[in-house]
Formats: sequence, structure tokens, C-alpha cells
Amino acid sequence: MYGWLDGNFVSVIDGVAFGLLLFTIAVGLSLVFGMMDVLNLAHGTLYLAGAYIAYALSDGSLWGLLLALAAGALVGACGGAALTFLTQPLARRGHLDQAVLTLGITFIVADLLAAAFGGEVLPTDPPRSLRGTVDLLGHAYPLYRLVFIGVATGLATAVYLLFERSPLGALVRATVADRDMVRALGVDIRKVLYGVFALGAALAVAGGVLGAPILGPGPGVDETVLVLSLVVVVVGGLGSVRGALVGALLIGQVQTLGVALLPEYAPFLLFGTMLAVLVVRPHGLVPSGVGA
Amino acid sequence: MAGRIRPIGLIAATTATLFLATACGGASLGTGEGDKQNGPLKIGLLVPQSGTYKALGDDMKQGFELYVQRHGGRLGGREVEIVVADEGESADSGKAAAEKLVKQDHVLAVSGVVSSATINGVKDLFESAKVPLVGSNASPTTLTGTKYIWRTSYVNDEPGKALGKYVAEKAGGPVFLIAAGYQAGKDEVEGFKSTFLPAGGKIAGEEVYTPFPATKNFQPYLAQIERSGAKSVFCFYAGGAAVDFVKQYRDFGLAGKIPLYAPGFLTEGGVLKGQGEAAEGILTALNYGADLDNAANKQFAPAYTAAYGSAPTTYAMASWDAAQVLDKAIKSAGSTVTSETVNAAIAAVGDIDSPRGTWHFNAGGTPVQPWYLREVKQGANTVSSELVRLGG
Repeated sequence: MYGWLDGNFVSVIDGVAFGLLLFTIAVGLSLVFGMMDVLNLAHGTLYLAGAYIAYALSDGSLWGLLLALAAGALVGACGGAALTFLTQPLARRGHLDQAVLTLGITFIVADLLAAAFGGEVLPTDPPRSLRGTVDLLGHAYPLYRLVFIGVATGLATAVYLLFERSPLGALVRATVADRDMVRALGVDIRKVLYGVFALGAALAVAGGVLGAPILGPGPGVDETVLVLSLVVVVVGGLGSVRGALVGALLIGQVQTLGVALLPEYAPFLLFGTMLAVLVVRPHGLVPSGVGA
Repeated sequence: MAGRIRPIGLIAATTATLFLATACGGASLGTGEGDKQNGPLKIGLLVPQSGTYKALGDDMKQGFELYVQRHGGRLGGREVEIVVADEGESADSGKAAAEKLVKQDHVLAVSGVVSSATINGVKDLFESAKVPLVGSNASPTTLTGTKYIWRTSYVNDEPGKALGKYVAEKAGGPVFLIAAGYQAGKDEVEGFKSTFLPAGGKIAGEEVYTPFPATKNFQPYLAQIERSGAKSVFCFYAGGAAVDFVKQYRDFGLAGKIPLYAPGFLTEGGVLKGQGEAAEGILTALNYGADLDNAANKQFAPAYTAAYGSAPTTYAMASWDAAQVLDKAIKSAGSTVTSETVNAAIAAVGDIDSPRGTWHFNAGGTPVQPWYLREVKQGANTVSSELVRLGG
């Protein structure tokens, strides 16, 4: 048993790091889809924008990273607000129209980013003080990924408390359950809608800033991230923070421990897991219970 | 890709976008001027001007244009006009662009072609139109038995072949084999094994093909390498995956402990910049290195660096050579320069004095040429020794 653990220990830790990265990205997609019924296929593009911001602003210092995070959060919030503005008129026309619109935005922004940054994968290193490796049971593990686990755990906790334990979260959930009732109470529904989308988008961009040294900026990264986020949302269940966390951690382990233990099935593990979850629990592992 | 949502509308919209893009791209290029005996000769360049392979296409275009420019805008003493067509990303876009060059622009010959899918797709077009294609990159192992298709690059499995014996002798223990899980990756690994195993090389565990392009996190594979007790690693990655793999190889502490060998693409051109110092010490096999010490390269490499601000890649060098092949062939075709006489002249073109060293075409239309071992030192590929001559 010890031998097994020792051999796969690093993969388990890395699965947690990868899972938390997926959570930071996917939770926004899940909340926006689950609560506001907006299918945002531009979600991967938000991550890519964050990764490019990290590339542009990282100067090797910790301040560079913090500056990039602040810029990323701002860009994300504005992007989220813009996406709300653009998708609201389509709210009654269903997911297909939203998909076409947001996918179109993806193509345009991806071309703009390629024009600005070129068609190659760009070097994005962690701040100097967070480079290097630490020793985990005799295996080298990147220090930055350990720090990332800490930061992302903090973010996950904050998002969970905000949506599932605070009065603000209660208001958001109430808006989802019964818009007319909340409007009758004198609350401006539009503020709630814009707020949720802006926060979800800001998280995706922040995920891009923090994730750049792990999943660096370059053409095609937006698609990879979008597909992974969709898988996390489908596995975890729509519209709940806990669902996104469970889905992301599970997919993180599938992508590291699963690949380490069953390498010959690596190409099928991701979608195999999704299929298995869908067969057993069609609404995902932890559905929100609202509108599901 | 079950996670993706693709209703009919999406497909329709995408198709329409792509159609418009191709139509505009085609319309903006060149004007159809009939061939006059004394007017400029039209040479087609079929290279990606958009999409994932644009950087490669730029290298190839620059190498070809530099040769023509340094020879007074002439090939074989005749003034030439270069008509560029966008290969794009897919076999379909490449085929459309090739059709345009051959049937609409009536070019004398074509050079370029990045992707194996494109060259397979346009093979019949060039054979039946009897227009020579002097390709300067794509060269799948399956492309055989053609009369009008030449490659100044190499056959896909040769970089692996060039390394096999050397690694078997140097490794001092089992070698781990890992590659991107698509055809080129398999070709390279098979090429490597074809010289590695007969030389007494041992493989550590099973060879691994990582899902392509989905794999972004290589940690589980790197853990496998560490556990396998391998003394060296042979890998095949290119483009974005090459950057990810090399950086994570360093991040997880394998760089400097287990030597990394690969076909040259792992560190060629733009990816090397992306890898930064993580690429330091990586050993690759390729038919060219910008610091090669020979007379032809002393002409080529400094001129290229001065013109474009970066050291030439094998893609640029092979395109320079494609222009050189056409130069010699057009000259020896004499007074009647047609696609067919030029093609016949290419077959008899003989030795090419190239920046990579002297080479000539074999019966299959690919080079018999030297291969070099290169090491990344201070952010540049440095040739350390000649490995072997392949292609014969």
C-alpha cells in the first residue's frame, strides 16, 4: 500500500492542483448557465485573455502577478458585463442563438489575440520567488503549483461562502427560483444578472492569470479550456458551487491519477468519466436543485 | 468530443465563415496573365498564411523569397513572379489554393506545403497537370511513386532514424519513448526503433502515446518516466505541445537528470523562444543547424538573420534550397521553359550545394543528406556532431 501511495502521491497532489484550476475556470460557466440560463461558449476565451494578461504583465516579480490579477479581474468583470448585455436580448430565444453568438465572439477575440500576440505558445513563468521545486516524498514538485493549491482553495472558499452562505447568495438563488417575486420585493433584477456574469467571468480571467504557468497562452488553449469546463459542469451538476468543486476535483484526478494508472485508456478517460456520471446521475453529481 | 455542443446552426455558421474567408483569400491574390516566352515566369508558393501553421509558412516564404531576392529576382536567368496562395490549416483549404495556382494562375512550378494532409490531397493534381511541386516541408512516408513531386526536406521518419544508433550507444540503460498520439508521432517512434533496437537499445516499460492535442498536463507521464528507471528519454512533440512538454519536464525536476532526445522540431523556431531556459541541454537530430560551418551556410544564415531578425530554421533552409533547385533546373531547361522540361531538369539537377551540406535527390525525390546532433545552448540550437547520412 505504501508503495502504491508513494508512486502515485505526486499525481494525487497534482490532480488537486489541476482540479482547483478547473474549478476556478468552470464555476463561472456553471453559475451563469445554471442560474441565468445563458450558455456562454466564450468562457474559454476569458481564460485565454487572462493567460495573455499574465504574459504581458509578468516581469518576474510577485507584484507583476498581483498587478496581472487585478487587471484580469477588471477585464473579466467588464467582459462579463458586456456578455450579459449581448446575450440578454436572446434570453427567450434559447441556447442555440446564445451558442452561435458567443461562439462568434470566441472566433473574433481569438483572432484579435492572435494578431496581437502571434500564433505561437508564449513563455509564461511564475514569479521568480515561486519557481523551483520542493521535495514531496523524494519526488520533485513545482513550488508554484503548491502555492496555486493554497490560493485556489481560498478562492473556492470565498465563492462558496458568497453563493451558498451569504444573504447576497440567498438573493441570487431567490432570483433564479422566482424572478417576479424578487422583483416585487423591490430588487433590481438586472443588477443581479450583471453581477453574477461579471463575477463568473472575472473568476475565469483570474484563472487564466494564475493558470498561465500551468496552461500557457496560445492559439487553441481557449478550446481546450472550454471543453474541460463543459465536462466539469456536466459531471458536477449545473448551477451549484459545490457541484463545480466536486466535478473539477474528480476530473482533475481522472486527468492525473487516472492517466498514471491506466495510461492505455488515457484518450477515453475524460469522456468515459462524463458518460459514466451521466448514466448514473443524469443531472450531475451535485445538482443545484433549482430548476433541475 | 461529446462535451461540445454542435447544433446544425453552428455548423452552418462556421461553414459560411470559412467559405467567405477562402473566397476573399482567393480573390485578393494575383492576376491571371498568360504565359509569354519572355515575360516573368510564375512560381507558386503554397504556404499557410493563416491558422496554426502560419509561423512555419512565414519561415518557408522568407527562405524562398530571400534566395530569389539575392539572385536579382531571377531563377535560371529568367525574371520570376512569386504567386503566394494560402494553404490554411486543412487538406481542403490547401487543395483549393493549389487548384488556383495550377489552373488559374498557370504557374510554372510550385513550392511550399506544410502539412502531410495537404501534400497527399494535392498529389494527383500535380501528377495529372504535369506541374512540378518542389515541396519544402511535408513528406509523409506514404508518399511514393510520384513523377512530379519532389521534397527538399526529408521523409517523416528520418529524424528518429538518425538518432536511434547514437542514443543506444550513449544512454547506458533503458530509454523511455513518448510521443504525441498521431501519425507523425508514430512514424518518428518507428523510425527511431528501426535503428535503436538493432544497435542494442532497450526500451523502458511501454512506449507511450499521449492524446493529441488534448494533453496539456504531462505530470502523470513524467511520473511514469521517473518511475521507469529510464536513463534517457526519446520524445516527439512539436508546436504548443513541445513548449508544454519541455517546460514541465523542467518543472518536475527531470531536466538535467534524464537527458532528453528528440527530432529537431522539439526545439525548432518559435517554440524555442516559448520554452526559454527550460530547453537548455536538450539534444535533437535534424538536417540543419543555423551555426553549421560551411561556405553555403555562411552566405545563407547571416543574410537570413539580417533580413528577418531571427536565425534561419530548417523550414527556411529547405525553401531556400527549393528555390535553388528551381534555379538550376530552369537554367538547364534551356530555351523551352515549360513545366515538363523543368520537371525533367529537376530529375537531372545533381548535387545541391546547400547550407546543410551537399545533397542530391534519391529515386524517390527526397534528399540524400547529412543529419546532425544539436544541443540547445544559451537559447540556440548548436550543432555538436554529424550523426549519419540518410536517404540513400
